[in-house]
Amino acid sequence: MSKESKTMFRELASYSQVGMTFVFSIFIGLGIGWYLDHKVFNGRTVPYLTFIFLGLGIAAGFKHLWDVSKKISDD
Amino acid sequence: MEHPILFISLILDKLGLPVPHTPTGATMLEKLCEPYMTYTWLVMAFLIIVPKLTMSRMELVPGSGQNFWEVTIGGLMDFFAENLGKERAKMLFPMMATFFLYIIIANMIGLIPGFMSPTSNLNITLGMTIMVWVTHHVLGFRYHGLNYYKHFTGPMPIMAPFMFLLEVIANCARLISLSMRLFGNILAKEILLSVLFMLAGAYFAPLPILCLGVLVCIIQAVVFVLLAVLYCASAMEEAH
Repeated sequence: MSKESKTMFRELASYSQVGMTFVFSIFIGLGIGWYLDHKVFNGRTVPYLTFIFLGLGIAAGFKHLWDVSKKISDD
Repeated sequence: MEHPILFISLILDKLGLPVPHTPTGATMLEKLCEPYMTYTWLVMAFLIIVPKLTMSRMELVPGSGQNFWEVTIGGLMDFFAENLGKERAKMLFPMMATFFLYIIIANMIGLIPGFMSPTSNLNITLGMTIMVWVTHHVLGFRYHGLNYYKHFTGPMPIMAPFMFLLEVIANCARLISLSMRLFGNILAKEILLSVLFMLAGAYFAPLPILCLGVLVCIIQAVVFVLLAVLYCASAMEEAH
């Protein structure tokens, strides 16, 4: 394999991860919030922690996107 | 999904062992007789026996068997050294090369009628992903000590707790995305093949998908190992 196609392959692998990481970080954030709301605090804080952690999950997804795009512009 | 014919399951059934007909077995023995377990052992046996047969006598001028392994191992070593550096590649080589050989053979085996890919079960892929995930954090702690947390906090001290939460969530997403991609691709290949085989097997309908399957098998194995290596490399390098 040539040098070109090797770097291309490496970048392909890391960028193919972007979409899934974005989706799963949102769901993981939502899941953590739901778990804290319903299991840890027994429903006393019901809508709030879920929404806060959903927001954190979305922010995590966007931060990952930001990091990747910064890496592209750096190279 | 119900596989058409799995010969190991048939043999075990004839031997009187309980082969479960649901995705997961109830008892310990049933769990051990699930197809993905038995086929994992087949792949393991293959990986132990074939190198033993081809490399029992190491020669200075290699024969065809030894030559094949030299090319494979040499290629993998170069590939890891490029991403990790020589020293670290040597340290991680046994684990990553095992992952690569295991995944590629486990993927390929599903293309033969009568076999299934163990990697088309989430338990196997998630197990491997957890190993990679734990390893890259252990390596991070080993190389940076407690300063490893700086990888997660970002440059600004004020934003650090917030960034830490975000990074932890994004890091856990790795766990799912790495396992789900391998699992999803291989399961899709298996289902597509078996459906096409049942619909029009006599007219060679699965043939194009078999060709694509070979490609998918190789790409998924390479991508899994490549991402594992990249995660380990990013855990070992200095925080930016």
